[in-house]
Amino acid sequence: MTGRDFVNRDVITVGDFRRDEMLFLLDAAGRFEQVNAPLLAGRVVATLFFEPSTRTRLSFESAVGRLGGRCIGFAEAGISSQSKGETLADTVRVVEGYSDLLLLRHPREGAARLAAEYARAPVVNCGDGAHQHPTQTFVDLYTIRRECGRLDELNVVFAGDLRYGRAVHSLVSVLAQFNARIQLVSPTFLRLPLEQMRMLEDLNVPFREGTSLEEALPDADVIYMTRIQRERFTDPYEFEKVKDAYRLDLAMLKSARPGVAILHPLPRVTEISTDVDSHPHAAYFRQAHYGVAVRKALLALLLGCADEVPG
Amino acid sequence: MRPEDISYKVNKLERGTVLDHLRAGTALRALRVMRLPPGATVTVGVNLHSARLGKKDIIKIEGYELTQEEAAKVALISPDATLSIIRAYEIVGKHDLVPPLRFKGLIRCQNPACIVHDERVPGSFQVESSDPVMVRCEYCERSIALDEFTFTDPQGRVGA
Repeated sequence: MTGRDFVNRDVITVGDFRRDEMLFLLDAAGRFEQVNAPLLAGRVVATLFFEPSTRTRLSFESAVGRLGGRCIGFAEAGISSQSKGETLADTVRVVEGYSDLLLLRHPREGAARLAAEYARAPVVNCGDGAHQHPTQTFVDLYTIRRECGRLDELNVVFAGDLRYGRAVHSLVSVLAQFNARIQLVSPTFLRLPLEQMRMLEDLNVPFREGTSLEEALPDADVIYMTRIQRERFTDPYEFEKVKDAYRLDLAMLKSARPGVAILHPLPRVTEISTDVDSHPHAAYFRQAHYGVAVRKALLALLLGCADEVPG
Repeated sequence: MRPEDISYKVNKLERGTVLDHLRAGTALRALRVMRLPPGATVTVGVNLHSARLGKKDIIKIEGYELTQEEAAKVALISPDATLSIIRAYEIVGKHDLVPPLRFKGLIRCQNPACIVHDERVPGSFQVESSDPVMVRCEYCERSIALDEFTFTDPQGRVGA
Protein backbone atom coordinates (compact mmCIF):
# COMPACT_ATOMS: atom_id res chain seq x y z
CA MET A 1 0.00 0.00 0.00
CA THR A 2 1.00 3.64 -0.37
CA GLY A 3 0.16 6.91 1.32
CA ARG A 4 -2.33 7.60 -1.44
CA ASP A 5 -4.65 4.97 0.08
CA PHE A 6 -5.28 7.43 2.93
CA VAL A 7 -6.06 10.52 0.87
CA ASN A 8 -9.49 12.02 1.64
CA ARG A 9 -10.53 9.11 3.86
CA ASP A 10 -12.78 9.56 6.85
CA VAL A 11 -11.43 8.29 10.17
CA ILE A 12 -14.55 7.24 12.07
CA THR A 13 -13.76 3.96 13.81
CA VAL A 14 -10.67 1.81 14.06
CA GLY A 15 -12.69 -0.89 12.31
CA ASP A 16 -12.34 1.15 9.11
CA PHE A 17 -8.60 0.40 9.08
CA ARG A 18 -6.81 -2.85 8.33
CA ARG A 19 -3.79 -3.98 10.28
CA ASP A 20 -1.38 -3.12 7.44
CA GLU A 21 -2.91 0.35 7.15
CA MET A 22 -2.43 0.99 10.86
CA LEU A 23 1.18 -0.19 10.68
CA PHE A 24 1.72 2.10 7.70
CA LEU A 25 0.41 5.02 9.75
CA LEU A 26 2.64 4.11 12.73
CA ASP A 27 5.68 3.95 10.46
CA ALA A 28 4.80 7.37 9.06
CA ALA A 29 4.37 8.70 12.61
CA GLY A 30 7.89 7.51 13.40
CA ARG A 31 9.22 9.71 10.60
CA PHE A 32 7.03 12.62 11.70
CA GLU A 33 8.47 12.65 15.23
CA GLN A 34 11.32 14.78 13.94
CA VAL A 35 9.65 16.46 10.96
CA ASN A 36 8.12 19.93 11.22
CA ALA A 37 8.01 20.88 7.54
CA PRO A 38 5.31 23.27 6.22
CA LEU A 39 3.45 20.47 4.46
CA LEU A 40 0.04 21.93 5.35
CA ALA A 41 0.87 25.52 4.34
CA GLY A 42 -2.31 27.13 3.01
CA ARG A 43 -4.51 24.35 4.43
CA VAL A 44 -7.26 25.00 6.96
CA VAL A 45 -8.42 22.38 9.45
CA ALA A 46 -11.73 22.88 11.29
CA THR A 47 -11.99 21.78 14.91
CA LEU A 48 -15.64 21.17 15.74
CA PHE A 49 -15.50 20.31 19.44
CA PHE A 50 -19.01 20.06 20.84
CA GLU A 51 -17.57 18.63 24.04
CA PRO A 52 -14.56 19.80 26.07
CA SER A 53 -11.18 18.33 25.22
CA THR A 54 -7.67 19.34 26.11
CA ARG A 55 -5.20 16.75 24.90
CA THR A 56 -6.88 15.72 21.69
CA ARG A 57 -7.68 19.26 20.57
CA LEU A 58 -4.35 20.73 21.58
CA SER A 59 -2.31 17.91 20.09
CA PHE A 60 -4.22 18.24 16.80
CA GLU A 61 -3.77 22.02 16.86
CA SER A 62 -0.09 21.51 17.61
CA ALA A 63 0.19 19.00 14.75
CA VAL A 64 -1.50 21.39 12.29
CA GLY A 65 0.64 24.31 13.49
CA ARG A 66 3.91 22.36 13.29
CA LEU A 67 3.09 21.43 9.70
CA GLY A 68 2.34 25.05 8.77
CA GLY A 69 -1.46 24.77 8.54
CA ARG A 70 -4.16 26.76 10.31
CA CYS A 71 -7.04 25.73 12.61
CA ILE A 72 -10.47 27.33 12.83
CA GLY A 73 -13.35 26.20 15.00
CA PHE A 74 -14.81 26.11 18.46
CA ALA A 75 -14.07 24.24 21.66
CA GLU A 76 -17.51 23.87 23.21
CA ALA A 77 -21.08 23.44 22.01
CA GLY A 78 -22.26 26.69 23.61
CA ILE A 79 -20.50 28.81 20.99
CA SER A 80 -21.56 26.72 18.00
CA SER A 81 -24.79 27.11 16.04
CA GLN A 82 -26.01 23.93 17.70
CA SER A 83 -27.02 26.16 20.61
CA LYS A 84 -29.38 27.88 18.13
CA GLY A 85 -30.90 24.56 17.12
CA GLU A 86 -28.80 23.78 14.06
CA THR A 87 -28.37 20.11 13.26
CA LEU A 88 -24.93 18.55 13.07
CA ALA A 89 -25.59 17.67 9.42
CA ASP A 90 -26.08 21.37 8.60
CA THR A 91 -23.06 22.47 10.65
CA VAL A 92 -20.66 20.17 8.80
CA ARG A 93 -22.08 21.17 5.40
CA VAL A 94 -21.39 24.79 6.24
CA VAL A 95 -17.97 24.36 7.83
CA GLU A 96 -16.57 22.11 5.12
CA GLY A 97 -16.80 25.12 2.83
CA TYR A 98 -14.36 26.92 5.13
CA SER A 99 -11.83 24.13 5.54
CA ASP A 100 -10.02 21.14 4.04
CA LEU A 101 -10.63 18.65 6.86
CA LEU A 102 -13.01 18.41 9.81
CA LEU A 103 -12.01 17.27 13.30
CA LEU A 104 -15.13 16.40 15.25
CA ARG A 105 -15.73 15.70 18.90
CA HIS A 106 -19.35 15.24 19.93
CA PRO A 107 -21.15 13.82 22.98
CA ARG A 108 -23.49 11.70 20.86
CA GLU A 109 -22.48 8.20 19.71
CA GLY A 110 -22.31 7.85 15.94
CA ALA A 111 -21.99 11.62 15.39
CA ALA A 112 -18.81 11.26 13.33
CA ARG A 113 -20.37 8.69 11.00
CA LEU A 114 -23.32 10.96 10.44
CA ALA A 115 -21.07 13.98 9.82
CA ALA A 116 -19.06 12.00 7.27
CA GLU A 117 -22.24 11.21 5.34
CA TYR A 118 -22.85 14.91 4.82
CA ALA A 119 -19.31 16.24 4.36
CA ARG A 120 -17.22 15.77 1.24
CA ALA A 121 -14.08 16.82 3.15
CA PRO A 122 -12.51 14.10 5.31
CA VAL A 123 -13.95 13.82 8.82
CA VAL A 124 -11.78 12.64 11.72
CA ASN A 125 -13.61 11.35 14.78
CA CYS A 126 -12.01 12.89 17.86
CA GLY A 127 -14.39 11.07 20.20
CA ASP A 128 -18.14 10.50 19.84
CA GLY A 129 -19.67 9.85 23.25
CA ALA A 130 -18.74 6.46 24.65
CA HIS A 131 -18.39 5.05 21.13
CA GLN A 132 -14.95 5.49 19.54
CA HIS A 133 -11.84 7.62 19.57
CA PRO A 134 -9.71 6.18 16.77
CA THR A 135 -6.82 8.64 16.84
CA GLN A 136 -6.34 7.91 20.55
CA THR A 137 -6.05 4.24 19.57
CA PHE A 138 -3.43 5.02 16.94
CA VAL A 139 -1.50 6.95 19.60
CA ASP A 140 -1.88 4.06 22.05
CA LEU A 141 -0.60 1.57 19.46
CA TYR A 142 2.32 3.83 18.63
CA THR A 143 3.18 4.15 22.32
CA ILE A 144 2.95 0.40 22.93
CA ARG A 145 5.23 -0.29 19.99
CA ARG A 146 7.71 2.37 21.11
CA GLU A 147 7.72 1.12 24.72
CA CYS A 148 7.53 -2.66 24.16
CA GLY A 149 9.30 -2.88 20.81
CA ARG A 150 6.43 -4.86 19.27
CA LEU A 151 2.66 -5.06 19.01
CA ASP A 152 2.11 -8.78 18.63
CA GLU A 153 1.29 -11.28 21.37
CA LEU A 154 1.26 -8.92 24.31
CA ASN A 155 -0.54 -9.38 27.63
CA VAL A 156 -2.58 -6.22 28.05
CA VAL A 157 -4.42 -5.33 31.25
CA PHE A 158 -7.24 -2.79 31.01
CA ALA A 159 -8.33 -1.37 34.35
CA GLY A 160 -10.98 1.12 35.46
CA ASP A 161 -13.99 2.24 33.46
CA LEU A 162 -14.31 -0.30 30.67
CA ARG A 163 -17.98 0.45 30.10
CA TYR A 164 -17.87 4.10 29.08
CA GLY A 165 -14.17 4.36 28.19
CA ARG A 166 -14.19 4.80 24.42
CA ALA A 167 -10.38 4.64 24.25
CA VAL A 168 -10.65 1.15 25.74
CA HIS A 169 -13.36 0.06 23.27
CA SER A 170 -11.28 1.14 20.29
CA LEU A 171 -8.00 -0.31 21.54
CA VAL A 172 -9.49 -3.65 22.58
CA SER A 173 -10.94 -4.17 19.11
CA VAL A 174 -7.61 -3.36 17.45
CA LEU A 175 -5.47 -5.51 19.76
CA ALA A 176 -7.55 -8.44 18.57
CA GLN A 177 -5.68 -8.09 15.27
CA PHE A 178 -2.33 -8.37 17.03
CA ASN A 179 -2.89 -11.67 18.87
CA ALA A 180 -3.06 -9.98 22.24
CA ARG A 181 -4.14 -11.66 25.46
CA ILE A 182 -6.43 -9.34 27.34
CA GLN A 183 -7.31 -8.98 31.02
CA LEU A 184 -10.25 -6.80 31.93
CA VAL A 185 -10.29 -5.35 35.44
CA SER A 186 -13.28 -3.24 36.45
CA PRO A 187 -16.05 -2.88 39.00
CA THR A 188 -19.03 -5.00 37.94
CA PHE A 189 -21.00 -1.87 37.03
CA LEU A 190 -18.28 -0.76 34.61
CA ARG A 191 -17.63 -4.02 32.75
CA LEU A 192 -16.79 -3.98 29.06
CA PRO A 193 -20.03 -3.78 27.00
CA LEU A 194 -21.51 -7.05 25.77
CA GLU A 195 -20.91 -6.16 22.11
CA GLN A 196 -17.19 -5.90 22.82
CA MET A 197 -17.13 -9.20 24.71
CA ARG A 198 -18.94 -10.85 21.83
CA MET A 199 -16.44 -9.41 19.39
CA LEU A 200 -13.53 -10.82 21.42
CA GLU A 201 -15.20 -14.23 21.50
CA ASP A 202 -15.91 -14.14 17.75
CA LEU A 203 -12.26 -13.33 17.04
CA ASN A 204 -11.02 -16.01 19.47
CA VAL A 205 -9.10 -13.46 21.51
CA PRO A 206 -8.18 -14.95 24.87
CA PHE A 207 -9.48 -12.68 27.61
CA ARG A 208 -10.18 -12.84 31.33
CA GLU A 209 -12.37 -10.68 33.48
CA GLY A 210 -11.81 -9.80 37.11
CA THR A 211 -12.11 -7.12 39.72
CA SER A 212 -8.61 -7.31 41.26
CA LEU A 213 -5.85 -5.23 39.69
CA GLU A 214 -3.22 -6.89 41.92
CA GLU A 215 -4.04 -10.32 40.50
CA ALA A 216 -3.74 -9.10 36.92
CA LEU A 217 -0.38 -7.31 37.26
CA PRO A 218 2.21 -10.13 37.27
CA ASP A 219 1.45 -11.28 33.71
CA ALA A 220 1.11 -7.85 32.14
CA ASP A 221 3.28 -6.44 29.34
CA VAL A 222 1.06 -3.36 29.21
CA ILE A 223 -1.14 -1.83 31.91
CA TYR A 224 -3.75 0.49 30.44
CA MET A 225 -5.32 2.51 33.27
CA THR A 226 -8.43 4.62 32.75
CA ARG A 227 -10.22 7.29 34.70
CA ILE A 228 -13.68 6.62 36.10
CA GLN A 229 -15.50 9.35 34.15
CA ARG A 230 -17.87 11.35 36.31
CA GLU A 231 -19.45 12.94 33.20
CA ARG A 232 -20.72 9.55 31.93
CA PHE A 233 -22.78 8.86 35.06
CA THR A 234 -26.37 10.03 35.37
CA ASP A 235 -26.57 8.81 38.96
CA PRO A 236 -24.00 10.50 41.28
CA TYR A 237 -24.48 7.72 43.85
CA GLU A 238 -23.28 5.11 41.34
CA PHE A 239 -20.23 7.28 40.63
CA GLU A 240 -19.38 7.64 44.33
CA LYS A 241 -19.50 3.86 44.75
CA VAL A 242 -16.84 3.20 42.10
CA LYS A 243 -14.78 6.38 41.71
CA ASP A 244 -11.84 5.13 43.78
CA ALA A 245 -12.03 1.49 42.76
CA TYR A 246 -8.43 1.31 41.53
CA ARG A 247 -5.22 3.07 42.41
CA LEU A 248 -1.96 1.87 40.88
CA ASP A 249 1.07 2.75 42.99
CA LEU A 250 4.78 2.02 42.88
CA ALA A 251 4.59 -0.70 45.56
CA MET A 252 2.05 -2.66 43.52
CA LEU A 253 4.35 -2.56 40.51
CA LYS A 254 6.93 -4.68 42.38
CA SER A 255 4.91 -7.73 41.38
CA ALA A 256 4.88 -6.67 37.71
CA ARG A 257 7.40 -7.53 35.00
CA PRO A 258 10.35 -5.11 34.94
CA GLY A 259 9.57 -3.84 31.43
CA VAL A 260 5.84 -3.39 31.89
CA ALA A 261 4.57 -0.30 30.05
CA ILE A 262 2.06 1.86 31.92
CA LEU A 263 -0.34 3.79 29.72
CA HIS A 264 -3.25 6.12 30.43
CA PRO A 265 -5.19 8.24 27.92
CA LEU A 266 -5.19 11.07 30.52
CA PRO A 267 -6.40 13.05 32.34
CA ARG A 268 -5.75 10.97 35.44
CA VAL A 269 -7.33 11.69 38.78
CA THR A 270 -6.42 9.20 41.50
CA GLU A 271 -6.12 5.94 39.54
CA ILE A 272 -2.34 6.27 39.13
CA SER A 273 -0.43 7.48 42.18
CA THR A 274 2.07 10.24 41.42
CA ASP A 275 4.86 8.02 42.78
CA VAL A 276 4.46 5.91 39.62
CA ASP A 277 5.57 8.90 37.52
CA SER A 278 9.20 8.08 38.36
CA HIS A 279 8.86 4.50 37.06
CA PRO A 280 11.03 4.17 33.93
CA HIS A 281 8.12 2.66 32.02
CA ALA A 282 5.44 5.11 33.14
CA ALA A 283 4.66 6.05 29.55
CA TYR A 284 1.56 8.21 29.88
CA PHE A 285 3.18 11.60 29.39
CA ARG A 286 5.25 10.30 26.48
CA GLN A 287 2.01 8.80 25.15
CA ALA A 288 0.43 12.26 25.14
CA HIS A 289 3.46 13.70 23.35
CA TYR A 290 3.52 10.93 20.72
CA GLY A 291 0.00 12.09 19.91
CA VAL A 292 1.41 15.04 17.99
CA ALA A 293 3.60 12.86 15.75
CA VAL A 294 0.79 10.41 15.06
CA ARG A 295 -1.66 13.21 14.28
CA LYS A 296 0.85 14.99 12.07
CA ALA A 297 1.28 11.78 10.09
CA LEU A 298 -2.47 11.20 9.87
CA LEU A 299 -3.25 14.75 8.73
CA ALA A 300 -0.50 14.69 6.12
CA LEU A 301 -1.71 11.33 4.81
CA LEU A 302 -5.39 12.36 4.65
CA LEU A 303 -4.52 15.62 2.91
CA GLY A 304 -2.16 13.89 0.48
CA CYS A 305 1.10 15.53 1.43
CA ALA A 306 2.88 12.80 3.41
CA ASP A 307 4.97 11.77 0.39
CA GLU A 308 6.97 14.95 0.81
CA VAL A 309 8.39 13.71 4.12
CA PRO A 310 11.90 12.29 3.81
CA GLY A 311 11.67 8.56 4.55
CA MET B 1 -64.97 -26.61 20.32
CA ARG B 2 -61.22 -27.05 20.14
CA PRO B 3 -59.21 -24.26 18.42
CA GLU B 4 -58.03 -26.60 15.69
CA ASP B 5 -61.64 -27.38 14.77
CA ILE B 6 -62.38 -23.78 13.91
CA SER B 7 -62.29 -23.11 10.18
CA TYR B 8 -61.80 -19.71 8.63
CA LYS B 9 -63.81 -18.77 5.60
CA VAL B 10 -61.77 -16.58 3.29
CA ASN B 11 -62.24 -16.46 -0.44
CA LYS B 12 -59.44 -17.92 -2.52
CA LEU B 13 -57.22 -15.31 -4.11
CA GLU B 14 -57.22 -15.07 -7.89
CA ARG B 15 -53.97 -13.11 -7.79
CA GLY B 16 -51.99 -11.67 -4.93
CA THR B 17 -49.91 -12.46 -1.86
CA VAL B 18 -50.43 -14.62 1.20
CA LEU B 19 -48.22 -14.11 4.23
CA ASP B 20 -48.65 -17.06 6.56
CA HIS B 21 -47.10 -18.05 9.88
CA LEU B 22 -46.64 -14.46 10.94
CA ARG B 23 -45.92 -14.21 14.63
CA ALA B 24 -49.15 -13.66 16.52
CA GLY B 25 -49.85 -9.97 16.88
CA THR B 26 -47.48 -8.76 14.13
CA ALA B 27 -49.86 -8.60 11.14
CA LEU B 28 -50.88 -4.97 11.48
CA ARG B 29 -47.26 -3.92 11.91
CA ALA B 30 -46.28 -5.94 8.84
CA LEU B 31 -48.98 -4.14 6.82
CA ARG B 32 -47.38 -0.82 7.68
CA VAL B 33 -44.13 -1.66 5.87
CA MET B 34 -46.00 -2.43 2.63
CA ARG B 35 -46.89 0.11 0.00
CA LEU B 36 -50.24 -1.32 -0.97
CA PRO B 37 -52.17 0.25 -3.85
CA PRO B 38 -55.12 2.38 -2.72
CA GLY B 39 -58.25 0.29 -2.44
CA ALA B 40 -56.39 -3.02 -2.17
CA THR B 41 -58.51 -5.77 -0.64
CA VAL B 42 -56.71 -7.14 2.40
CA THR B 43 -57.81 -9.90 4.73
CA VAL B 44 -56.06 -10.08 8.09
CA GLY B 45 -56.29 -12.95 10.54
CA VAL B 46 -54.94 -12.34 14.03
CA ASN B 47 -54.22 -14.95 16.70
CA LEU B 48 -55.39 -17.88 14.59
CA HIS B 49 -54.65 -21.41 15.70
CA SER B 50 -51.44 -22.88 14.30
CA ALA B 51 -50.20 -26.42 14.79
CA ARG B 52 -46.62 -25.17 14.34
CA LEU B 53 -46.66 -21.90 16.25
CA GLY B 54 -49.62 -22.25 18.62
CA LYS B 55 -51.00 -18.95 17.39
CA LYS B 56 -50.24 -17.06 14.24
CA ASP B 57 -51.35 -14.17 12.05
CA ILE B 58 -52.15 -14.33 8.32
CA ILE B 59 -52.38 -11.59 5.68
CA LYS B 60 -53.98 -12.08 2.27
CA ILE B 61 -53.64 -9.29 -0.27
CA GLU B 62 -55.79 -9.35 -3.38
CA GLY B 63 -54.22 -8.15 -6.63
CA TYR B 64 -50.80 -7.16 -5.27
CA GLU B 65 -47.54 -9.07 -5.19
CA LEU B 66 -45.20 -8.04 -2.39
CA THR B 67 -41.87 -6.59 -3.53
CA GLN B 68 -38.59 -8.12 -2.36
CA GLU B 69 -37.91 -5.02 -0.28
CA GLU B 70 -41.28 -5.27 1.45
CA ALA B 71 -40.86 -9.00 2.03
CA ALA B 72 -37.41 -8.41 3.52
CA LYS B 73 -38.82 -5.88 5.97
CA VAL B 74 -41.59 -8.29 6.99
CA ALA B 75 -38.81 -10.80 7.72
CA LEU B 76 -37.45 -8.40 10.33
CA ILE B 77 -40.84 -8.19 12.00
CA SER B 78 -41.72 -11.86 11.78
CA PRO B 79 -38.73 -14.00 10.79
CA ASP B 80 -40.67 -17.30 10.63
CA ALA B 81 -43.30 -16.08 8.16
CA THR B 82 -43.77 -17.67 4.73
CA LEU B 83 -44.73 -15.86 1.55
CA SER B 84 -46.88 -17.29 -1.25
CA ILE B 85 -47.48 -15.58 -4.57
CA ILE B 86 -50.81 -16.49 -6.19
CA ARG B 87 -51.61 -16.25 -9.88
CA ALA B 88 -54.77 -17.66 -11.49
CA TYR B 89 -55.75 -19.19 -8.12
CA GLU B 90 -52.53 -21.23 -8.06
CA ILE B 91 -49.48 -20.81 -5.82
CA VAL B 92 -46.65 -19.97 -8.22
CA GLY B 93 -44.02 -19.26 -5.62
CA LYS B 94 -43.69 -20.10 -1.94
CA HIS B 95 -40.66 -19.21 0.11
CA ASP B 96 -39.31 -18.23 3.49
CA LEU B 97 -38.62 -14.58 4.07
CA VAL B 98 -35.04 -13.33 4.12
CA PRO B 99 -34.17 -10.13 6.00
CA PRO B 100 -32.31 -7.37 4.12
CA LEU B 101 -28.56 -6.90 4.62
CA ARG B 102 -29.13 -3.21 5.36
CA PHE B 103 -32.19 -1.03 5.81
CA LYS B 104 -33.21 2.48 6.75
CA GLY B 105 -36.03 3.55 9.04
CA LEU B 106 -38.57 0.99 10.29
CA ILE B 107 -37.13 0.91 13.80
CA ARG B 108 -35.51 3.34 16.20
CA CYS B 109 -32.03 2.86 17.64
CA GLN B 110 -32.40 1.73 21.24
CA ASN B 111 -29.30 3.58 22.39
CA PRO B 112 -30.50 6.85 23.97
CA ALA B 113 -27.04 8.36 23.37
CA CYS B 114 -27.15 7.72 19.60
CA ILE B 115 -26.89 10.77 17.34
CA VAL B 116 -30.00 9.84 15.32
CA HIS B 117 -32.23 11.04 18.13
CA ASP B 118 -30.95 14.62 17.69
CA GLU B 119 -30.90 14.76 13.91
CA ARG B 120 -33.71 14.62 11.38
CA VAL B 121 -32.47 11.41 9.79
CA PRO B 122 -33.92 7.90 9.69
CA GLY B 123 -32.08 5.14 11.51
CA SER B 124 -29.71 3.09 9.39
CA PHE B 125 -29.07 -0.54 10.25
CA GLN B 126 -27.07 -3.58 9.22
CA VAL B 127 -28.54 -7.02 9.85
CA GLU B 128 -25.98 -9.01 11.86
CA SER B 129 -27.99 -12.19 12.12
CA SER B 130 -31.33 -13.38 10.83
CA ASP B 131 -31.92 -16.21 13.31
CA PRO B 132 -32.33 -14.80 15.86
CA VAL B 133 -32.84 -11.39 14.30
CA MET B 134 -30.10 -9.02 15.47
CA VAL B 135 -29.35 -5.69 13.83
CA ARG B 136 -26.65 -3.08 14.38
CA CYS B 137 -27.08 0.68 14.21
CA GLU B 138 -24.71 2.00 11.54
CA TYR B 139 -24.11 5.18 13.53
CA CYS B 140 -23.44 4.12 17.14
CA GLU B 141 -22.81 0.42 16.29
CA ARG B 142 -24.98 -0.86 19.15
CA SER B 143 -26.68 -4.19 18.52
CA ILE B 144 -30.46 -4.52 18.87
CA ALA B 145 -32.38 -7.79 19.16
CA LEU B 146 -35.83 -8.32 17.62
CA ASP B 147 -37.61 -8.26 20.98
CA GLU B 148 -36.07 -4.83 21.68
CA PHE B 149 -37.31 -3.26 18.42
CA THR B 150 -39.25 -0.03 18.70
CA PHE B 151 -41.01 0.42 15.37
CA THR B 152 -41.48 3.78 13.72
CA ASP B 153 -43.83 5.02 11.04
CA PRO B 154 -42.46 6.30 7.68
CA GLN B 155 -42.00 9.75 9.26
CA GLY B 156 -39.79 8.21 11.95
CA ARG B 157 -42.35 8.59 14.74
CA VAL B 158 -42.30 5.98 17.46
CA GLY B 159 -45.36 3.87 18.20
CA ALA B 160 -46.21 2.73 14.68
